[in-house]
Amino acid sequence: MEQTYEYAWIIPFIPLPVPMLIGAGLFLFPTATKSFRRMWAFQSVLLLSIVMVFSIYLSIQQINSSSFYQYVWSWIINNDFSLDFGYLIDPLTSIMSILITTVGIMVLIYSDNYMAHDQGYLRFFAYMSFFSTSMLGLVTSSNLIQIYIFWELVGLCSYLLIGFWFTRPVAANACQKAFVTNRVGDFGLLLGILGFYWITGSFEFRDLFEIFNNLIYNNEVDFLFVTLCAVLLFAGAVAKSAQFPLHVWLPDAMEGPTPISALIHAATMVAAGIFLVARLLPLFRVIPYIMYLISVIGIITVLLGATLALAQKDIKRGLAYSTMSQLGYMMLALGMGSYRSALFHLITHAYSKALLFLGSGSIIHSMETIVGYSPAKSQNMGLMGGLRKHVPISKITFLLGTLSLCGIPPLACFWSKDEILNDSWLYSPIFAIIAWATAGLTAFYMFRIYLLTFEGHLNAHFPNYGGKQKTPFYSISLWGKNGVKKNSCLLTMNNNESTYFFAKTKYPIDKNGRKMTRPFMTIAHFEHKAVYSYPYESDNTMLFPIFVLGLFTLFVGSIGIPFNQEGGNLDILSKWLAPSINLLHQKSNNSMDWNEFLKDAVLSVSIAYFGIFIASFLYKPIYSSLKNFELINSFVKKGPKRILWDKIINGIYDWSYNRAYIDAFYTRFLVGGIRGLAEFTHFFDRRVIDGMTNGVGVISFIVGEGIKYIGGGRISSYLFLYLAYVSIFLLVYYLLFSTL
Amino acid sequence: MNYFPWLTIIVVFPIFAGSLIFFLPHKGNRVIRWYTICICILELLLTTYAFCYHFQSDDPLIQLVEDYKWINFFDFHWRLGIDGLSIGPILLTGFITTLATLAAWPVTRDSRLFHFLMLAMYSGQIGSFSSRDLLLFFIMWELELIPVYLLLCMWGGKKRLYSATKFILYTAGGSVFLLMGVLGLALYGSNEPTLNFETSVNQSYPVVLEIIFYIGFFIAFAVKSPIIPLHTWLPDTHGEAHYSTCMLLAGILLKMGAYGLIRINMELLPHAHSIFSPWLMIIGTIQIIYAALTSLGQRNLKKRIAYSSVSHMGFIIIGISSLTDTGLNGALLQIISHGFIGAALFFLAGTTYDRIRLVYLDEMGGIAIPMPKMFTMFSSFSMASLALPGMSGFVAELIVFFGIITGQKYLLIPKILITFVMAIGMILTPIYSLSMSRQMFYGYKLFNAPKDSFFDSGPRELFLSISIFLPVIGIGIYPDFVLSLAVDKVEVILSNFFYR
Repeated sequence: MEQTYEYAWIIPFIPLPVPMLIGAGLFLFPTATKSFRRMWAFQSVLLLSIVMVFSIYLSIQQINSSSFYQYVWSWIINNDFSLDFGYLIDPLTSIMSILITTVGIMVLIYSDNYMAHDQGYLRFFAYMSFFSTSMLGLVTSSNLIQIYIFWELVGLCSYLLIGFWFTRPVAANACQKAFVTNRVGDFGLLLGILGFYWITGSFEFRDLFEIFNNLIYNNEVDFLFVTLCAVLLFAGAVAKSAQFPLHVWLPDAMEGPTPISALIHAATMVAAGIFLVARLLPLFRVIPYIMYLISVIGIITVLLGATLALAQKDIKRGLAYSTMSQLGYMMLALGMGSYRSALFHLITHAYSKALLFLGSGSIIHSMETIVGYSPAKSQNMGLMGGLRKHVPISKITFLLGTLSLCGIPPLACFWSKDEILNDSWLYSPIFAIIAWATAGLTAFYMFRIYLLTFEGHLNAHFPNYGGKQKTPFYSISLWGKNGVKKNSCLLTMNNNESTYFFAKTKYPIDKNGRKMTRPFMTIAHFEHKAVYSYPYESDNTMLFPIFVLGLFTLFVGSIGIPFNQEGGNLDILSKWLAPSINLLHQKSNNSMDWNEFLKDAVLSVSIAYFGIFIASFLYKPIYSSLKNFELINSFVKKGPKRILWDKIINGIYDWSYNRAYIDAFYTRFLVGGIRGLAEFTHFFDRRVIDGMTNGVGVISFIVGEGIKYIGGGRISSYLFLYLAYVSIFLLVYYLLFSTL
Repeated sequence: MNYFPWLTIIVVFPIFAGSLIFFLPHKGNRVIRWYTICICILELLLTTYAFCYHFQSDDPLIQLVEDYKWINFFDFHWRLGIDGLSIGPILLTGFITTLATLAAWPVTRDSRLFHFLMLAMYSGQIGSFSSRDLLLFFIMWELELIPVYLLLCMWGGKKRLYSATKFILYTAGGSVFLLMGVLGLALYGSNEPTLNFETSVNQSYPVVLEIIFYIGFFIAFAVKSPIIPLHTWLPDTHGEAHYSTCMLLAGILLKMGAYGLIRINMELLPHAHSIFSPWLMIIGTIQIIYAALTSLGQRNLKKRIAYSSVSHMGFIIIGISSLTDTGLNGALLQIISHGFIGAALFFLAGTTYDRIRLVYLDEMGGIAIPMPKMFTMFSSFSMASLALPGMSGFVAELIVFFGIITGQKYLLIPKILITFVMAIGMILTPIYSLSMSRQMFYGYKLFNAPKDSFFDSGPRELFLSISIFLPVIGIGIYPDFVLSLAVDKVEVILSNFFYR
């Protein structure tokens, strides 16, 4: 058993050969490397599976006898200081590594098909494997510097993968935005690390906690400084986990390929912030205000993410805001001190959201053949609809994920979310109310996405059938103010240029085009009917991971369900995290009261159903329930009230569609400010500093020219000057002495 | 102890062999190119051999000492010697100059003179890094100005004369102060001039005099390093010079200023240094922010990289003025690391310019598709420049940060402020370097130029960038390799500050 731990250092290094070899191969022998496409993909899946087996083994041992293991090597030794490298295996690490590897393998298998036609197939796999390496490194690291190193590396992977399709200007902007925003967080993280190093003189977690607790105990620290450092440290987590002030990068990050959104921007990397806070919880716990800050940030993000998700028309952006909101729940749980429920939600959410993203990728993939390869079209929910019939398997799994996220009982997220919601009552009623309300909102926006995507008829072909004239106002304002126009023009353009889109699709399907040729063959014959082609279900390679993740979503909740065993009622997760902290339940014993549980569960489920009901009320396809709408209209259309109601709804939609104006604010003030400052310093540098040197040059030039002019070699001028000076001197002399 | 004059050979060999270029037969540029490359490689091997077998790295004293009396009249010696401080820059010089010669492959106009000048610079740089005599240091310092000036004004861009004049005026102006300082140090105290470093180290001066000397040296090194507000020659020079010259400038020449600051200002004038170091710290911090912001405002690609070098020099200044082991080690590591990264960035920018013939960033775009390898290399080096972990820049900057944090000299609040502002530079760096790479490579653009001018980097360029990339990664993963060279020497230097 010790031996397994001794070899655990290899975990992050196992997937490393793939990116190195692919990178070197692509760089030096591009054509040869590209011909081995599938082989490389297989390698990366294989290596990641080895890691998975290894980490499952480790975590079984963790469950049986919860212990931690740490080992360090010295990295930089100097006279003054030394930096260590090491690894730390504890429950948190094993949970995270299982999560990363399982989701990672599924996503790798999935992207084999998803990226099959892409030029950068191998590049994609290299980035992905590099991401797995650095993420595994992050979770196994044993000190803060190491965390920082891998923290930046996962940021780099995220940057590279968001900008994967680098010919798109939007993607280029998005990846830079993501990197810079994360760098703001890293700035805080580094300063926080340095601050704590200054206080305690150590980077190792355990030493750090011990020394720090001693210092606090003996009252030897400056609380202001400590709080500042803790806030800075927390800023890193805020940026990585897309919490409130620094969340702006996450929705834009959806420009990357969808498997990336599933792996990095939903399941693993964004959870790194939660991981960090969980890791440093013993530190944060003893500092007075920081826990409040964490929970406040968490609750703000919960609410903000949910409201922003309300009116997104891009399916992936909607999911991204939902991710943000769910991460807020985790942060809230950490801020409340319930470590266990935060991690539980982390696990369940990771699987559900990965499932949702992979499902949306499958939909996008099938939509692309119809509406074209621009993400503005293929991810536009307005053009989807009625996919239920065409992509049944994706639909079922997507529904599973949606229900899970809404918190419907047997599915994974129900258990964890319910735990967080219950804990929030113990913490503070206001937070609890917001959290509960947001659970309803979650159900609402998730079902909105589901209904728009799968119910009704395929809007891509039936622009009129979507009902522009008949729909009540708020159904149009789904798109915001200018959205209506944009939508219709999109659709007409789509009709006119359908041939153009299809011509374009030939581009990626070169010699490797295996299956997608089928719809095109028919299209090629009936150019006008091409518009009425329907999306196809994705390949099995894509459906298999979705299916597996669906299974996970069904059953992963069970690790946190307390089974009544004779040895006490401990669930697996509690056993796993046995030595860890549980702040909130310190006094009450850990056994759960089923009655109370049932009561709360009923409440939360009913809120979720309420959200679903509203969503289906608003977004159920119009043509199928026209009568209903007439009814509503007659109900609601009553004078100023109706206008007010419209205004409110419109306001909410605008708020959400414009991303709560936060992005605009940042663009205006921060980006504009920095740009202005840059212009100013450039001007200053150019005109003042350089101007001084140039001025010196010009002046010396003028003086030289003047001297040259004066000293032109004419004797007469010399004589004239000489005599003039002599006469002035004499005059002065005379005047001075005459007065005496 | 063997008395084979290794250092003299190392210093004299390039310029001597270079002068033979003029006697080569007129058989085109090929011969000259190969000859120069061979000389450079031979020199590099020679240096490496000498340092491997005749240099004890655990000895903080001067080694490989040579001392020949040159001018009897005022006790001027040809006195060479190296220690842990100079071995890093010398190896860097050899490496970068060899690669710069390789990068200068496309230069065809007047290639005899060009290659001779490269070799002359080689000598001058190694000479100034290895001289142990104040006047010799000054002479070597001046010696490498002339080749740079000529390289700039003959092979530069459109505004080359302006930039060359600016360069020579700035640096010559700085050299005046250097000469004043050298003479002041030499003539103080005794009847005979003392130009030897060893004797000067142990000498102490009245505080006022020391401050005056310090200011004189500081101005000279501040021009070279460059330190704001004396930096404006650098963007102009880098903007106009041929990229092989840029590699030398960014890779080595800038480092001479930093080296001089450590070698003379820190080692010989410790009192004044400890008086001035808070101000230096402030200047360095301002420089990081100021140059990063200015870099953001540049449209010209090369100027943007040039300002980024200025910004990175700020870390060296801060490391030097932190007065800690850690900080000084960080500064030395940053010297080496930026030598690689800066040179590589200028090389890539230059080769890109050779292909697309556009200088302004807003006119570029979408060249990632025709040139994927260039794209890869450029992204990697901009990552290295923004201090991505795993690359050398990160370790250097991290160690400098530690240097400030662990420094005994400063109070808590100034330390926090300095660290905070420095860290803001960490946010600005990705903004300018990533937006540079975004504007150059990302997006999609149709080019009017004929397709054959858009070839990707060839094997020579590939070799060049990879051979710079490997040390960058290597240092990033195992920094002790470079740090161990200078650790003992750094300790000795800093002990001056505590025992006096």
